Amino acid sequence: MRHTFIIARRVLLQLKGDTRFLALSVIGPLIIIYFLKLLFTTFPPYVDVKSFTIPISAFIVHFLSFILCAILLVQERTRGTLERMMIGGFSKTSIIGGYTLGYFSLATVQAISVLGESIWLFGLSYDTRTVVLLFIVIWLLAIVSVMLGIFISTFARQEAQVLPFIPLIILPSVFLTGLIIKTDGLPVWAQIIGKCLPLHYAVNIINVIIKPEYRITETLVDFGILAGYLFGLLVLASLSLKETE
Amino acid sequence: MNAIEIVNLSKNYGKIRALNNLSLDVPEGTIYGLVGPNGSGKTTLIKALVGSLRPGSGYARVLGLDPLKDKWELRKQIGYMPQSPALYDDLSARNNILFFGKAQNVPDLQNKVDEILSFVELTARADDTVRTFSGGMKKRVSLCCALIHNPKIIFLDEPTAAVDPHLKMQSWLLFQKLAQSGVTIFVSTHQMDEAMLCDKVTILRNGEILAVDTPQNILLRGKTSLKIVVDGDERNTVIDSTPKNLADELKRYGLDKGISAVELKSDNIEDIILSIVLEREKEENS
Repeated sequence: MRHTFIIARRVLLQLKGDTRFLALSVIGPLIIIYFLKLLFTTFPPYVDVKSFTIPISAFIVHFLSFILCAILLVQERTRGTLERMMIGGFSKTSIIGGYTLGYFSLATVQAISVLGESIWLFGLSYDTRTVVLLFIVIWLLAIVSVMLGIFISTFARQEAQVLPFIPLIILPSVFLTGLIIKTDGLPVWAQIIGKCLPLHYAVNIINVIIKPEYRITETLVDFGILAGYLFGLLVLASLSLKETE
Repeated sequence: MNAIEIVNLSKNYGKIRALNNLSLDVPEGTIYGLVGPNGSGKTTLIKALVGSLRPGSGYARVLGLDPLKDKWELRKQIGYMPQSPALYDDLSARNNILFFGKAQNVPDLQNKVDEILSFVELTARADDTVRTFSGGMKKRVSLCCALIHNPKIIFLDEPTAAVDPHLKMQSWLLFQKLAQSGVTIFVSTHQMDEAMLCDKVTILRNGEILAVDTPQNILLRGKTSLKIVVDGDERNTVIDSTPKNLADELKRYGLDKGISAVELKSDNIEDIILSIVLEREKEENS
């Protein structure tokens, strides 16, 4: 456990020192949400743009957390620091745990800032319980995205090799998870693919809790699956992260 | 006692044979040099010994431990400096060393970091990010990371490439001091002058051992070209580079019988290692 905290502290120190990365991961989503606002103002008034706002904000956090974490971990491999960490006495689980813990703070900042901006910019009015739940969903999705990034990074030897995973994982998330259109009308095989993607469950929860009246029990299964993704990806990442060539 | 034992170690990368049935012993407290051209298997061998590479066949023992099965026990006792600096560019030199020192639970770490930074002459830049450092400075920080926990064996993969001559000599003085205190240094190098500073040298090519000997004995494998001018008549001859051979050759002319000039050109360690590698290539091609 001590090693996990040492790595988490190092990740935080790196984040602090890398202003470009920080700007990209915190200010980047805010700018994209502003662009979203500009786009939505061009829509005719009968389109209920407010129902898309939070799911799309969650998607932006999902995408950036995934891609940035995957690239950073691949950098660890290409620069030789991953090998050095392992030979230096850090275990695979402490590396994954340390990374996840390190990104906890970033995910928290991302979730708060994205949610705050979306509510303010689009004039959304939710009660405190809903806002807290929305924060938890986006935050949980960000952590799942970090885990997904760690897992995917084990299949890439160079930063550029992460890019093919965007059309494989991220683009299907846009079309098949209910982010833009309801998935009921899709062919069954497309619905199955959509249900394999974590964003599907985050969007489900968000769509329930932004309704004026809802019961928290309606979201429990989706919350459970999202948390299951967290542990599943943790196990997969631990298994796929190789200590030896 | 041997710090490292390697028995019939082989490793293939697809069709490429990176290590070919390699066997060697490294006594404790020695500076052991691995010399060879690019792709000869130096880095692969070091990676197999530090447990980051699984050999295809054969085995290795480092301090009597299996690098894969006993990795946790072993990793407390070894230091590793890879060929690339393998540092965090966004962190300062101090924070890089602290990070690897904390992993090994080094006592009185802050003072040790100050000490080692002072040794590599980086105290003034200790809190600057590594990104702003030259290649040689990064190598120095990387060396500090490998040494911070006082390991019993240090694996150094080309540690002084891109380091200036002054610091290179300082580093070798440190290696010699460490070896005198019982630490084993296993070092790969391209630089033949460094091979001369090792207690023993293994010459590798295509994953095979071509020679294992002390640098002094390897020097004796070289040739000396002699140009002797006797009464205006120039005679050229090539002899093995031993003092006895040279004395015999000179005696053949009689030391006082009109010799007006003697010119000697002995192979240096670089010539000799190159000739050993080329000889093997010739044998394989014929």
